[in-house]
Amino acid sequence: MNLLTRIHEWFSFLGNPASYAIGYILETLFIIIFVAISFIALIYIFRKYMARIQRRVGPNRVGKFGILQLIADAFKLIGKESILPEGRDDLAYKIAPLIIMIATLVSFIILPFGDLAYFGSLTITHSKITLILLFGILSILPIGEILGGMSTRSNYALIGTMRAVAKDVSFEVPMLISALAIVMVSSRSFVTGSAITGGFNLSTIVTDQIIPYGIIEPLGLIVFFISMIARASYSPYDLAESDSELITGYTTEYSGMRFGLFYIGLFGMIYLGSFFISILYLAGSNGPVMTDLGFIYLFIKTDILVLIAFLVWVSLPRIRIDKFVNLGWKYLLPLSVINLIYAGFFILYIR
Amino acid sequence: MAHYTELNIGPIHPSIHGILKFKVKLQEEIIEDVEITLGFLHRNAEKICELNYYADNMVYFDRMDYLDAMNMEVGYLTAVEKLMDMEVPERAQWIRMIMAELNRLGARLVGLGAFGLDMGMLTPFFHCFIEREKIQKIFVEASGGRQEVNYMSIGGVYQDFNDQIINDIREFLKEFKPYLEDIYSMFMHSEIFWQRNDGVGILEPDVALDYGVTGPLLRGSGVAYDVRKDAPYMFYDKVNFDIPISHKKDNIGRFILKVEEMRQSIRIIEQSLDKIPDGPYFNNKAKKSMMLRLKGDGEAFSRIESDNGEFGVYVRGNGTFKPWRVHVRSPAFKNISVVPVMAKGMMIADLIVIIGSIDTVIGEIDR
Repeated sequence: MNLLTRIHEWFSFLGNPASYAIGYILETLFIIIFVAISFIALIYIFRKYMARIQRRVGPNRVGKFGILQLIADAFKLIGKESILPEGRDDLAYKIAPLIIMIATLVSFIILPFGDLAYFGSLTITHSKITLILLFGILSILPIGEILGGMSTRSNYALIGTMRAVAKDVSFEVPMLISALAIVMVSSRSFVTGSAITGGFNLSTIVTDQIIPYGIIEPLGLIVFFISMIARASYSPYDLAESDSELITGYTTEYSGMRFGLFYIGLFGMIYLGSFFISILYLAGSNGPVMTDLGFIYLFIKTDILVLIAFLVWVSLPRIRIDKFVNLGWKYLLPLSVINLIYAGFFILYIR
Repeated sequence: MAHYTELNIGPIHPSIHGILKFKVKLQEEIIEDVEITLGFLHRNAEKICELNYYADNMVYFDRMDYLDAMNMEVGYLTAVEKLMDMEVPERAQWIRMIMAELNRLGARLVGLGAFGLDMGMLTPFFHCFIEREKIQKIFVEASGGRQEVNYMSIGGVYQDFNDQIINDIREFLKEFKPYLEDIYSMFMHSEIFWQRNDGVGILEPDVALDYGVTGPLLRGSGVAYDVRKDAPYMFYDKVNFDIPISHKKDNIGRFILKVEEMRQSIRIIEQSLDKIPDGPYFNNKAKKSMMLRLKGDGEAFSRIESDNGEFGVYVRGNGTFKPWRVHVRSPAFKNISVVPVMAKGMMIADLIVIIGSIDTVIGEIDR
């Protein structure tokens, strides 16, 4: 029993098509709201955590212990004037933040979230190729970055866009090859040893992970984690919007809520990537004890990964662009290929 | 056919130290040429000094290198006292020396923190500023001012040290020593920090001497020149300290050198605290009621070692209560002019780090 069929049952008096449609919509809204709220909580934790590392106090004014600080910031951003630069490409300028925002949000409804007590499975998308679908949506994000950077005719944005494209090209490839190794390993069932077709399906990848694939392929986990931080353009890989060099890179000419949407996309990307890693490498909603609360397991794993990424953020200086691209092509790509070969040997001989 | 991108870094930019403009010619990310535009913060301080009494000019010197105000005051006062043949009591000299070195520590801390910030390293900045805040509390205790202290006066200092200030300084130094090593290791244990700085911003010693570069930038190129050793003023010849030099000529050498100089400053303060004698803290000729009646005649030039390098002050009097001409030799102005040489052929990220490593203060460049 999953959430979809449960909502379908509640609205079954409306007939099949209508009740399924309502079911999908409500389920999607539920997941997006849940993710958003948990994410706001996570950013609050991040701010406190960052403040402690930097011998500061952190937010403590808005609400009890400053819990509502992020909401106050969001209202501040909405209330700000959105300054439009002259000589912009109007449509591209306005559509770019929406692309980033929507692509990030849509990615969340593809993930297999696992079970949550009474509600059952929270997975929304029941497709056999969710892995490919997710990578497809992720490859929309660079379009938003490019449109945003090129449409404003600022040299800062231009250089920022060049860097963003270099980042996306050089880290997409190791990320994909690492994911391919997962597909190979998960294409054979642990239990029966026979070939199964669920290699592209995130749900079956999770259910098939009796041992987390991160233990089987630690190299892949490391490569994927570094690529994920780089794709999310987090410090030390935040070259595209490096604030001390290019002001904010491709978002330089944005202000107000449009800038806020880019900001949400940036933070959403790290959250999405952490979900992705915990699903692919850390057995997702499986835990040491079998319960119907797999959702909680997934969240704990994801939050730990996000906090590790935040720790990297506050402790390292920014890497230079040439060293950055070298890292992608000269180190991570060969490592991911080695990992792929290893995965091949693993499914042929070791298992 | 060469195709350039022109990028205006400044006057308003997150990582330029103050308001100055770097017009950068870029070929993709490689810097072909840098053109510096100054003058956005020109306040005509030297000219205004001619309109005021000798004692009033201190505030304009506070606002030159606003991070290193004590050293600016020392620079002005040594010139004015030379002009007036004013004896400074021994106690006042030691107090001035302690304050100058404390302020050097504070200015260096800002420099180190901002250097980290220029590389996208957020954490050391806050640690540096929290330590600097303790120095400023000592200044508040002594003078009432945090940053623009206006502490010294002609022939002495504004207020005597009491036991509490001396205790505060001793306690601060005891706590600060391990924190300095902490901050230092925050940078040095980072592989990316080495990647960003090793071999970046190379300044050959002969180029540095041609441009009139002084201070840590010159010592970072392997020339052991420090006014405190070469032409001692106050009591720098009565304390033991070393002038570190670096033969690496790049950012990393300069960084290590700056931290080593901070350790030497701590040594100076510790020795000075032990050597403070009792006695008057101002010259009786320049007591507060007589302050505006001080006359100067002739000309005098003094040079001191400020945070950025050799800070020179030229004062000329014509026998009246006001100086006839005041001129300042600003080290930061000479230091910033060498950026195009250092940044040529580097990447844009390196330019920002080089500016951070030079650590100029715009208030002193534009006066």
